[in-house]
Amino acid sequence: PVTAGSIVVPYGHVIGNEKWRGSEIAKRLQGKIRLIFEDCLGLVDFHLSNRTCILYISEADLVAGDEFKRRLVRFRNASSLGGIVIVEKTQISDQYFLALQKLVVLELGMVLLPVTNQGEASQLITQLVSFYVREQSKDHNSNPFLRKQCSQLAEPSLFRTVQQIPGVGKTKALLLLQQFGSIHRLCNASVKELELVVGQTVAQQIYTF
Amino acid sequence: STNPSSATAPFPRDPLERKPALCILADSREICSGAEVISSLKAAHGVKVQVCSLGSGDYIVSNRMAVERKFLSELLSSGNRSKVTQRLQRLQSTFERVCVIVEKDRVKPGETSRFFQRTQYYDGVLAALVQAGIRILFSSCQEETAGLLKDLALVEQRKNAAIRVPTEVEGHKRAMLNFYLSIPNLSYLAALNMCHYFDSVKKLANSSPLDIAAGAQVSPQKAEEIYRYLHYGFDVQMLPESLCTKGR
Repeated sequence: PVTAGSIVVPYGHVIGNEKWRGSEIAKRLQGKIRLIFEDCLGLVDFHLSNRTCILYISEADLVAGDEFKRRLVRFRNASSLGGIVIVEKTQISDQYFLALQKLVVLELGMVLLPVTNQGEASQLITQLVSFYVREQSKDHNSNPFLRKQCSQLAEPSLFRTVQQIPGVGKTKALLLLQQFGSIHRLCNASVKELELVVGQTVAQQIYTF
Repeated sequence: STNPSSATAPFPRDPLERKPALCILADSREICSGAEVISSLKAAHGVKVQVCSLGSGDYIVSNRMAVERKFLSELLSSGNRSKVTQRLQRLQSTFERVCVIVEKDRVKPGETSRFFQRTQYYDGVLAALVQAGIRILFSSCQEETAGLLKDLALVEQRKNAAIRVPTEVEGHKRAMLNFYLSIPNLSYLAALNMCHYFDSVKKLANSSPLDIAAGAQVSPQKAEEIYRYLHYGFDVQMLPESLCTKGR
């Protein structure tokens, strides 16, 4: 069965595919996060949250041929969940990595993260989970890369922008902004209006800019 | 080297070929740190590379996507934390799509292959990037990075976001470009697009957000941001003292 649909993951838990019971990943994860096993996850290896899951590709999968590609494509077609592909990139499987990356990231639009063994994978999964836990607890400041709506004052930027007009330096920029208030109004000022603030030559320069 | 991505030639050399050549903008700092990336893009992939002072991001591969090239060693230790986060924050507020290429450090002659211990900090960085929706690609050398940049540009071209405007500007257009580049959180490419779309700054200033989105090739939200900036009422009281007095 394909089964790539969403699943309810309790807060701070990871749901693992039954086939991982007793594995090195499972053993290492169990000390750090609450891991629950289920045997009907189908294509998915681990569910990290209600929206994100992990598909694991071992060194053996990579070397054995194209079966893992069919699995990834089937997952992508069947599921709207965010899929993170963790792959064992070792000396042996390294030669297949570039082609896999092209498929996963560029063609399927999924995330690909290389590890060298299951131990590294468990450390990576722990970090991923900790970010989802923080996200669910609405602690957005913990991720420095998330888009923030910072309300910067526009004045210093406007001051700099107006100085980019040929012939306008700091003094004239300030006079122009005080007189016209916005770039929109400055752009629609007549030569005469401009002449009242700056000299004839500069007024013409601004008008034709 | 066996680079599978270079095996697929970008376009047949047909003069009647309708698709324009791929174009990628590179930041001028990359001439020093990524010389082989640039030469490989030109020589092996036939990509047009325009070097300019981008301000943020190492490469721009489409109207909406910036690529930051980072060495693995920079992400393994927290020593560069503030530098890396500042640059990526800036990219996130400027571009719709951001991609990081994690490149393996070059082994200097005489140096035995460096062994990198994977750190918990590194896994934390990867997790944060994934959660923020930043794409991550891994490369083992500069040539491979060039191949990945070309692949990214190709995907963006398929999605109709390729760079289509002339990338070199002179004279009056150069002055307009500098004017547009001073608008906060505006990408070099949006400024370039605006230069070519609007005959004058006045035309832009009198445009609706919808026109701005079409002209600059940016999202409706970004167009709204530009519109608000052009109409923002300046209040001299809000200007820091240090700026006012310097010119006197």
